[in-house]
Amino acid sequence: MAKLEASDTVVLGISLDSPAANAAFAEKIGVTFPLLSDMDKEVLTAYGILKPYDVKGSKFKWAERTTIVVDKEGKIQHVEQGDSAVDPNSALSVCTGLHKPHGQ
Amino acid sequence: MKRFVTAITSLFLLLALAGQFSAAGQEEAIAKTNLKVGDVAPDFTLTSNKWEKVKLSDFRGKKNVVLAFYVLAFTGG
Repeated sequence: MAKLEASDTVVLGISLDSPAANAAFAEKIGVTFPLLSDMDKEVLTAYGILKPYDVKGSKFKWAERTTIVVDKEGKIQHVEQGDSAVDPNSALSVCTGLHKPHGQ
Repeated sequence: MKRFVTAITSLFLLLALAGQFSAAGQEEAIAKTNLKVGDVAPDFTLTSNKWEKVKLSDFRGKKNVVLAFYVLAFTGG
């Protein structure tokens, strides 16, 4: 993560937790990047990544684990979903690639 | 060229994941994003854990942004 932040890149964590829960979570795991609160699920809906979960018979809609890399022009350069999205290495390699001149 | 390879790799990954979801066969397949490489990321303003407003488009022209969507705080994911 520190590597990512050094490569001209910011990381934003997003979930539907409250800012207070995110503050406690950030302190617990020691993250340095912002954790954003999408309690209305507006962004999760706009990005199309709400997923139904069934926890002991109770049904919820939460975010699917997703990593999206947005370049400096605001365009999406990389989308990764599912459990592999937990590993930041592929996002890192995309960001490193964005620094290279075009056509390489 | 590298971007092209990345795009193709992402596409295969998405297809593989799509297969996984339909195999699970439960409810609507709403977890799969329609956003693709090359699309403009929908803008948003959200409140951070420090109660600051963070707007995606504020980073435009300055920084690449990695959006890391996670399921819930305190769940290790």
